[in-house]
Amino acid sequence: MSSQSVFAKGSPIRRWGPWIAVAVIAFSALSVAAFGSRSAPTAQDRVSSISRTVKCPVCSGESVAESNVPASQEIRRQIAEQVQQGQSDDEIRSFYAAKYGQAILLTPSASGVNALVWILPVVALAVGIAALVIVFRRWSSMPQERATDEDRELVASALHPEEGVDPNDPHGEGASR
Amino acid sequence: MNLALGRAGITLGFAAAILGAVTVGYGLIRHRPDLVRLSRWYAGLVFLGGLLAAIAMERALITRDFTVLYVADNGSTKTPALYNFATLWGALEGSIILWALILGGYLMAVVVKFRKRLADPLVGWAIFTMLIVCIFFFWMLVGPANPFKSFSPPAGFDGPGPNPLLQNHPLMAFHPPMLYLGYVGFTVPFAFAIAALITGRVGEGWLLATRRWTLIAWGFLTAGIILGSWWSYEVLGWGGYWAWDPVENASLLPWLTGTAYLHSVLVQERRGMLRVWNISLLCATFALTILGTFITRSGVIESVHAFTTSGIGPAIISFFALIVLSTVVLIGWRGDRLRSPGRIDSPLSREGAFLANNVLFAAFAFVVLLGTLFPLVVEAINDDRISVGVPYFNRMTMPIGLTLLFLMAIAPVLPWRKASGELLRHRLIWPAWIGVGSLIFAVVVGARGFAPVLAFGLGGFAAGSAGRQVVLATRRQGWRGLIGRANGGMIVHLGVVMIAVAFAASSSYVRQAEFTLTQGQSAQFAGHELVYVGQNTKQESAKIVDQVLITIDGTGPWAPSLNKFANGNQTIGTPSVRTTFTDDVVLSVIDIKGGENGSVTIRVTVQPLIMWLWIGGGVMALGTLLAVFPGRRRNPLDAVSAPVAVEPPKDSTGATV
Repeated sequence: MSSQSVFAKGSPIRRWGPWIAVAVIAFSALSVAAFGSRSAPTAQDRVSSISRTVKCPVCSGESVAESNVPASQEIRRQIAEQVQQGQSDDEIRSFYAAKYGQAILLTPSASGVNALVWILPVVALAVGIAALVIVFRRWSSMPQERATDEDRELVASALHPEEGVDPNDPHGEGASR
Repeated sequence: MNLALGRAGITLGFAAAILGAVTVGYGLIRHRPDLVRLSRWYAGLVFLGGLLAAIAMERALITRDFTVLYVADNGSTKTPALYNFATLWGALEGSIILWALILGGYLMAVVVKFRKRLADPLVGWAIFTMLIVCIFFFWMLVGPANPFKSFSPPAGFDGPGPNPLLQNHPLMAFHPPMLYLGYVGFTVPFAFAIAALITGRVGEGWLLATRRWTLIAWGFLTAGIILGSWWSYEVLGWGGYWAWDPVENASLLPWLTGTAYLHSVLVQERRGMLRVWNISLLCATFALTILGTFITRSGVIESVHAFTTSGIGPAIISFFALIVLSTVVLIGWRGDRLRSPGRIDSPLSREGAFLANNVLFAAFAFVVLLGTLFPLVVEAINDDRISVGVPYFNRMTMPIGLTLLFLMAIAPVLPWRKASGELLRHRLIWPAWIGVGSLIFAVVVGARGFAPVLAFGLGGFAAGSAGRQVVLATRRQGWRGLIGRANGGMIVHLGVVMIAVAFAASSSYVRQAEFTLTQGQSAQFAGHELVYVGQNTKQESAKIVDQVLITIDGTGPWAPSLNKFANGNQTIGTPSVRTTFTDDVVLSVIDIKGGENGSVTIRVTVQPLIMWLWIGGGVMALGTLLAVFPGRRRNPLDAVSAPVAVEPPKDSTGATV
């Protein structure tokens, strides 16, 4: 097989080549993005990312990072100290959960009833996709209904009382729709 | 005077809505077109009632008429004119006036638009449904949320003024009316859907009659949400624009179901399918706007944006239950007519993509609704208090958002009925290269992390796809290729991509720190240099503004401030934002220490690409506007495809469409 025919028009390489290139480049760029070196988060970054997950104990619906009341400022200072002492993110969070109750954490735990908030969306999406699959199965097993000649005449007489009808376009809606 | 005028207005609106509903309903049941046609007068009177109430309240606010309790509670002689005007929607009772006024306006618009079809039962029942909704809102005004209660002010009385947060940024004058125009606008298609169910004319007629109304309501809702997040960003001072707060979620929910509806309705128009689903989506959208009002206004859920709490919760939730119940009963009753015989040939088709879109949007809405209400549910079940916040919503919606971006890349090029792999290979290769290009660009400029970089790649892919459609349409039709539903929709897609990319970038690469600086001291953060150059105090009519002057990279000075309001005990910080196309630096003051060394503590938030949120919002609004204008009417006998070239095109991009 000569090289010419491999690259000839319509050959698999001509058809799939660009897509293989796209896939390879996208894959390698994403790997660099996911596993490539990046600067380690500074202590400051850790403080702000932890305080975004802790709720302000006295205000309504704001995190410690967002709110500016003295209680939140105090907790931010405390978190900074804890980070300095080398505690892990989870240790710091469970410290506040023990002190103020579970409601202080903006990420609900995955135990007991609370697990439902994580599970239900997945279940709902699975049900939705399953419903789609079932309905497409049913559609594809349905016999395709074809317009009978009688139908065509009916439509034709309704559309153009005098004229005949284009057999390729019985509905008068443009042939290639 | 204002009290009398206002009370006359709400009574007129209430009475006209009741009489109108009775007359129209009776006329429809007894087949008396003469009675049904009277709806135009009742609609006019309802609108007039709302208008009178709004004028009376504005007049009372502007003249500082403290004999009106609402003005005594929310007005002040010190409030600047713009915020004083906006106080109409600054608290519960006034915002219901705005709601009633807009509802009356939409009712009026329907009556004018359908003036030749008023006796048509479909239109009649739609107007009847709208009048019922009017009865509810005017009932709230004459009953539990009456804004025109009287008050006898002592001599020299001055009100506290609106909530300080609500008089801190001019967007306050635009965001709530926009949002309400969107919320209330969905009443129109909802009313037609109910009318279709009642009359049994569940075909496509009502859809075609209301599709532009739906689009307009959706456009206002979109603009309202984006202006709202802009307001949060400029006012709340924590550097963010979206916090998955219950009130924000309440506005997002109808947007999500409304967006799903805008797409799935195309399947019904084209193929006559999905009737039950479309009606359900539309009714869900309307019901969610009411649920949103409940969440915003009842005080059952904690929120930064809930500026009022009141006892109207039970009334709103009952109305919500009524809507859901009547919709379900009506759909059940008309079940036999709603079945459609068609089928979708292949999942890989335009209609298949719309179905996938609907599953994703429904899942999105479900996550948002669940996360918002779950704390309430848990508390009811086992008396346990938990919070569901930003980390939850970000984690759960991210995969849905990424899948939606992917779908946005594929769907626009799909033909109806069935697509072949060959066709997709042709049509998608350039969008795919654009996606790969943006992926590489993101990695080269240093973006890291799987999810955000994937979002950039998919964003480029989706933008490429939408761009391809726009380019082909304009090449075919000139400037007309920009208007019409499909073309405007592609512009909206471009706006959505901008917002998605900006959202991914700003939430993934946000950096925040606090600095305590003495005068002349500088700090380095995230590639920016901040210098504290001094302080400034301004005395304004309603507040004392303590500004901290800071230069960023030598520009400025920027002046974040602490505002002490004369009539409030709250001190409100106002951030200062330096915006560029690549990143935003938000400065907010945490503390100003007086005395000798006079140090200040400021918080610095640096987020990339924030400006693209607002630009994207503008593009979405523009796209919606373009979509509202009628596109070129295609001669039904014209082919949809470009003529096939005699010779096969040399490059793969020359494919016909």
